[in-house]
Amino acid sequence: MITHHTILGVATILYLALFFLHVLYFATKKKGIVRAAWYCLYATLVIQTAGIGMRWVESYRLGIGHVPLSNYYESLIFFSWSISVLVVIMKRRLAYPAITFAAAVISLVLMAYASLAPGVDKGIQPLIPALQSNWLHVHVITCFIAYAAFAVSFICGGLFFFGSGRVVPPADTLDDINYRSIIIGFSMLTSGILTGAVWAHYAWGSYWSWDPKETWSLITWIVYALVLHLRMTGGWRGRKTAILSIIGFASVVMTYFGVNFLLAGLHSYAT
Amino acid sequence: MTATRSNNGKKSEPAARSGPIFRFLTSVRLAIVALSLIAATSVLGSVIKQGGTEEEYLALYPEKTYHFIKLFGLDDAYHSPWFYFLLGVFALNLVLCTLQRIKRLAREKGAGKKGIPDVRAVAAGGSGFTVPADRREEIFRRLGGSYRKKAISDTVILYEKGSLSRYGVIIIHTSVLLVLLGGLMGLLGGQKGFIVLHAGEETNSAMSRSPSQPAIRLDFTVRCKDFRVSFYPGGEPKEYASDIEITDAAGKVVKEGRIRVNEPLSYGGMRLYQSTYGMSNLFTFIVDGKRIVLGEQEVASAGKAPFMVARYAAEVHNFGPGVMVAYMDGQEPKTIWFLSKVEKMKTHMIEGSRVTLEKIDGKYYTGLEVARDPGVPVVLTGFGFMLLGLYITFFTFHRRIYVVDEGDRIIVAGTAPRNREGFLEELKKLAEGLA
Repeated sequence: MITHHTILGVATILYLALFFLHVLYFATKKKGIVRAAWYCLYATLVIQTAGIGMRWVESYRLGIGHVPLSNYYESLIFFSWSISVLVVIMKRRLAYPAITFAAAVISLVLMAYASLAPGVDKGIQPLIPALQSNWLHVHVITCFIAYAAFAVSFICGGLFFFGSGRVVPPADTLDDINYRSIIIGFSMLTSGILTGAVWAHYAWGSYWSWDPKETWSLITWIVYALVLHLRMTGGWRGRKTAILSIIGFASVVMTYFGVNFLLAGLHSYAT
Repeated sequence: MTATRSNNGKKSEPAARSGPIFRFLTSVRLAIVALSLIAATSVLGSVIKQGGTEEEYLALYPEKTYHFIKLFGLDDAYHSPWFYFLLGVFALNLVLCTLQRIKRLAREKGAGKKGIPDVRAVAAGGSGFTVPADRREEIFRRLGGSYRKKAISDTVILYEKGSLSRYGVIIIHTSVLLVLLGGLMGLLGGQKGFIVLHAGEETNSAMSRSPSQPAIRLDFTVRCKDFRVSFYPGGEPKEYASDIEITDAAGKVVKEGRIRVNEPLSYGGMRLYQSTYGMSNLFTFIVDGKRIVLGEQEVASAGKAPFMVARYAAEVHNFGPGVMVAYMDGQEPKTIWFLSKVEKMKTHMIEGSRVTLEKIDGKYYTGLEVARDPGVPVVLTGFGFMLLGLYITFFTFHRRIYVVDEGDRIIVAGTAPRNREGFLEELKKLAEGLA
């Protein structure tokens, strides 16, 4: 029987195809391959969306229906989906093979990790009472759009050190995309933290409890606030911004993965 | 005093105002240092165990490290004097920065009214275009939609859009201050406690989170009428809820309701949250013919001498569940086991009273969090302003477009201090098909 696992498996394979299409382009520099890669990305996104939708439907068949945004596995899938959605939305600005390649690699790694890692429970679990809230959706969605935008910013920061060429966009362009990603990410992270705080106010009796995930999201928020201030008032551009966006993403990785494995706290649903 | 200061005029500002210390306090540099240190302290706070006992720390760290942690208050990093100092410096910096920004903006606004840029030069610089005079109506039509129009002279009209975006940063900074203020209000006027109740029980006090602090007296009584928990087939809790009744000092029921996770109940500024639940044992004894129900560690004073439920064991030497009771035999403390499944061990004489263990019941209790936080409305207002501020700062931008009628041709040109790139695209769209 075809389940959502099958569909998401197909999506993972398509991400792999996307990876090879880019490699092929880097080797041959044929324009047509780039176009094919974009169609491949669209197809991947459609399939992945269908997979997420099917998981949603299947959860209702199990009698424990809920939006698939509630555990670690579902968050990994949604993270990779968010990156691809953001790439498609920002296509006009970031249509450079180096950027789409890096985004595809991150999505592929997330999908592969989600489906292959033995520590990741792939089953559909019922929602524990604390998660039974409409704040769940808006909180998780805003946070992961933020993470996806910061991933794009990280890509631009990283590519800065590869030197511009035929595949890597010029430094100014990278800087521009980087900045745009950071303002999207920062706004979304703020929304994520605020919706989380409002939710915590209703669920835990306190809008802020210095739980490790909360604390690390604040640290991430401060890092990007610093990036923006250094840019606006200190005129930091280019190399400095690139380094900062890598540091910022390290903080995102700590917030998302590190906290789950290294620090115990209230947010333990996501492990 | 303030009035005289502002009357002094802009030129003769007091020396302290522009002195090096004042400049340092208003600088972005200080904001960056303060924020970095706040972040660094938060990192330490998230890595080092918070709020543990001395034994717990000594089990985790060497003694020297423990003394270091204690010295800098890193065992409660987010409430350490050091952290409050950083937040204070940051808040002061933010207040001064924001005031300066408002002042500067007011000055710019005054200047903006007088100075019209050399529109022809602006157009020549790339941010403008020229159209023939007969397309006048079309240009006005295109600009008429979403721009604010202001006639400057007979031949020059100013079109403006996104002027609010200049206030975005001020709104964000003010919102951060509001959140900090709300946090401070919660810190000073807030209360937090915990209540444990079995169905049918009531209380008018709540335990403090830390055992060293006294219990919180409530000015009302909380009664748990019922507690229910349901499970998924896999065994995970699906829902748990307490039916609560609140009575005031006069004994009148003033509030009733069901508290679920995510659905608190509030009364008189106090909120009650469904936090946890659990199961504990209740022991029914018959003391000299009188029936009493005791929880663990509870003392019965019904008989001739008081006794206490000291310990419960689910299995006592394969004889089934039992409970150890402690009492004083003169000056000497003694213990005795009651076993609910062994007839001979059900009844004992304690200091001349006949005590029988009738039954042991497992019973759910509900764990309610009670909290009062007067800062919440301020914090929530801050959140609202923060989102508004972010939106208008990052996703709108201010631009001025001047339309100069030179008789035979119309010059359309403008400026956008931020997002020049976006502005040029906008101009291109405006000029489409007109040149």
